[in-house]
Amino acid sequence: MTTRIKHLYIHVPFCKAICYYCDFARRIYDEKLADKWLERLEKEISDSCHEQYETIYIGGGTPSCLSPEQSEKLLSLIYPYASEVKEYTIEANPESLDSDKILLYKQYGINRISLGVQSCYDELLKSLNRKHDFKTVEDKISLLRNHGLDNISVDLMYSLPGQNMDILKDTLNRLINLDLPHLSLYSLTIEENSVFGKKGIKALDEDMEADMYELIDETLRAHGYIHYEVSNYAKAGYQSKHNLGYWNYDDFLGLSAGASGKIGNNRYTNTRDLQRYINSDDIREEDLYLSRKDQMFENVMMSLRTIYGLDLRDFEKRYGISIQETYPRALKNRNLMIRNDRLICTNLEILNSVLLDFMD
Amino acid sequence: MKNLDKERIRNFSIIAHIDHGKSTLADRILELTETVSKREMQDQILDSLELERERGITIKLNVVQLKYHAKDGQDYIFHLIDTPGHVDFSYEVSRSLAACDGAILVVDASQGIEAQTLANTYLALDNDLEILPVINKIDLPSADIERTKKEIEDVIGLDCSYAPCISAKTGLNVEDVLEGIVRYLPSPSGDINKPLKALVFDSYYDSYRGVVVFVCLKDGQVKVGDHIRFMQADTEYEVTEVGVKTPNEMKKNILVAGEVGYICASIKSIQDIHIGDTITLKDNPCAEALPGYRKMNPMVYCGMYPTDNNKYNDLRDALEKLQLNDSSLTFEAESSKALGFGFRLGFLGLLHMEVVQERLEREYNLNLIATAPSVIYKVTLTDGTVKYIDNPSLMPDSNIIEFIEEPYVRASIMVPNEYIGPIMQLSQDKRGIYKDMIYIDSNRNQLVYEMPLSEIIFEYFDKLKSVSRGYASLDYEIIGYRKSNLVKMDILINGEVIDALSIIVHRDFAYSRGQAITVKLKEILPKQQFEIPIQAAIGNKVLARTNIKSLRKDVLAKCYGGDISRKKKLLEKQKEGKKRMKAVGSVEIPQEAFMAVLALDDDKN
Repeated sequence: MTTRIKHLYIHVPFCKAICYYCDFARRIYDEKLADKWLERLEKEISDSCHEQYETIYIGGGTPSCLSPEQSEKLLSLIYPYASEVKEYTIEANPESLDSDKILLYKQYGINRISLGVQSCYDELLKSLNRKHDFKTVEDKISLLRNHGLDNISVDLMYSLPGQNMDILKDTLNRLINLDLPHLSLYSLTIEENSVFGKKGIKALDEDMEADMYELIDETLRAHGYIHYEVSNYAKAGYQSKHNLGYWNYDDFLGLSAGASGKIGNNRYTNTRDLQRYINSDDIREEDLYLSRKDQMFENVMMSLRTIYGLDLRDFEKRYGISIQETYPRALKNRNLMIRNDRLICTNLEILNSVLLDFMD
Repeated sequence: MKNLDKERIRNFSIIAHIDHGKSTLADRILELTETVSKREMQDQILDSLELERERGITIKLNVVQLKYHAKDGQDYIFHLIDTPGHVDFSYEVSRSLAACDGAILVVDASQGIEAQTLANTYLALDNDLEILPVINKIDLPSADIERTKKEIEDVIGLDCSYAPCISAKTGLNVEDVLEGIVRYLPSPSGDINKPLKALVFDSYYDSYRGVVVFVCLKDGQVKVGDHIRFMQADTEYEVTEVGVKTPNEMKKNILVAGEVGYICASIKSIQDIHIGDTITLKDNPCAEALPGYRKMNPMVYCGMYPTDNNKYNDLRDALEKLQLNDSSLTFEAESSKALGFGFRLGFLGLLHMEVVQERLEREYNLNLIATAPSVIYKVTLTDGTVKYIDNPSLMPDSNIIEFIEEPYVRASIMVPNEYIGPIMQLSQDKRGIYKDMIYIDSNRNQLVYEMPLSEIIFEYFDKLKSVSRGYASLDYEIIGYRKSNLVKMDILINGEVIDALSIIVHRDFAYSRGQAITVKLKEILPKQQFEIPIQAAIGNKVLARTNIKSLRKDVLAKCYGGDISRKKKLLEKQKEGKKRMKAVGSVEIPQEAFMAVLALDDDKN
């Protein structure tokens, strides 16, 4: 029996430059290598894709750094599986967007752009090794709108070295002025394998980070955004369908080097080694069997991240046991509540501690 | 050497103040006598415990047999018995000295004699040992050989005219020490033809051979197949193996009077061996047992609890095995409301306590929570009965206490003149009573104070070192119990008394101690999901209060489909960290918290 897979993720492992906070699967763009990668991806797509997807997400890396020809090739490979797509997102960096690419994206059904903005301050952008300024961000948003692509989300980072509350306030004002339907605001995590991690850069202290989180929450909610997930804000109706799929612990197919997928009781991760991806038939770096217990915990871990929480009837249907029977002790946590058959974390800021109770 | 000539045996120890070069000299002697080849040689070779090497200290005594071809053309057999230098382990020192006829006293020429130089020398003299002084570290620019010799002559009264002046580090003149041993230290006095009389001075458990017993043969001989009797324990065994340490164990056919070696006799029960017992032959016993050792009573007590309550039996097994190897350790079962089931352990001092905890964790793979150390209090109740309290949480209610007494020590502090002021101030702060100041030379004096043992174990030694920039040295001896104005202070976390955090304090210091402890606990306790009060109280009266602020933010910024594995591993790691803590009600308490009650006024001094 195969249930329908509704979500498709494709990873583009190339960037024009490496951002200092990033530890994703990515390397500096090289045209010939990208051609070989596309060839291998073509095979993976034809081996793995068998149905129409409700949501498709092309992430990276920087998908927009591909050449126009490569972009078209990529989109044409996906095209046969996109006829019923409701949300089709591509990630882009401001500097690599132009009218031709935008037209191409539209032509293949892309209806949502996730723009890597990261900061509204040119100085901070430089310190992250970003290759654009804020003026470019404003210009490219207008360009997208002129082409009728209004469903734009931007990624922004806070709690950056050198940032303070005043800079953040001003950043939020600039962000609000852009009047976008979706915003993702991530506090900087110093990843061990990022440039920051290797340089030994330290995160801001917990209190400062919490103050910033709370300021963002207040400010954006006052301007009509719904704070629907730990780091995500949307105007009504613009919540990311693809990402809600992850948080609902739905099955999803992930393709290309460094991508993960989950189908039933299997989670796999493809190799991040591009040479191995291109040259080998065995591209799995991790191929995990997920026990029912694993799945139940991961489901909770993902679902509690949103304000909609965990659907308890769905949980029972999936695992044949109620949440109350499964986690009697954890449910006593005062940061949890059950409303309308959903388990909701009322203090998302300390979700980690809440989750630890589910691990006994 | 079949017909062992007693005249050519020397049994000796090396005694010294800590860091004066005892283990280094032992290393050089082993090299010079080619007991250990260059290939096998490593620093501190006699310190076989991993912990000893790491900390650069000797904890356990260790014994080794050496052969030396002396300048008189004769071959000699030396039994070198290495000893710990720290004051906590003076019991081990006295045990090894009882097996010796002589001692080498090592004194650092750049430091001169120190508190434990004196203490250990007096122990050796109590055991009627001949002492050969050795002046070490003469290669250091700050070495002052003449001054050091004069100190030894003036303060201890030993003649230094023949004292070898050496550098154990470089090997300079170490040969003179070996010749000195031959010339100035006596050979054993025992008689090989008398009935067997052997002193048990150490033992350890070996899973193949049973208990391995270290002995010093005073009279007679013992060989494989002999039926032996432990005179004090009144038990009998058949000998299965005898041997000596060179420093690895080497089997022999026979051990004879004057030799120091080991005996195996399929001894299964570790409780059957008493250190200080006398072994003789079943069929040809000696007339009377050796005097044995003065039983050392523990000075410091603490509770030890497995973080995982299911490991209680493992902890008991480990303690039983460790006790065989460390006869000064005592333990009995106890339980705590906060920590569950565990044991109350008795130690000779704080270093001893640390060492035991580390050995239990490493050698027996246990995760332990140790409560703050306490001395043993003598409590006289209003009805006249007397109770000894080694666990502060068991202190009776104050309204049925007539008075409390605590152990006092006589502390001798050797200190360069310029630090006398700060040390007197420190000693006074620690409730010390000034007794005497003894002139050593124009640079140094010895201060004598009487003070509560609890003050000594609570950081006095560390403070002493810091105010004197490491130049002061300390030795102390117990002088008995004295009345003190003491009270029990409870620590409440989230409104609940945590029995394992209760301490006994002097009433005059209760307020400042309470403040210091609550502030320290606030730093140590991990933030919890809700704000939690920490209070210090005497009876119902709260003396100090702080709050642990609630945790504000720990959530992971990004968690999409590709992040699940990673994020789950991160949470698992976090969960693992929590297992090192003890859950008390809804609060996770890490080990450091139990020690925090000792942490005092960091801002003073």
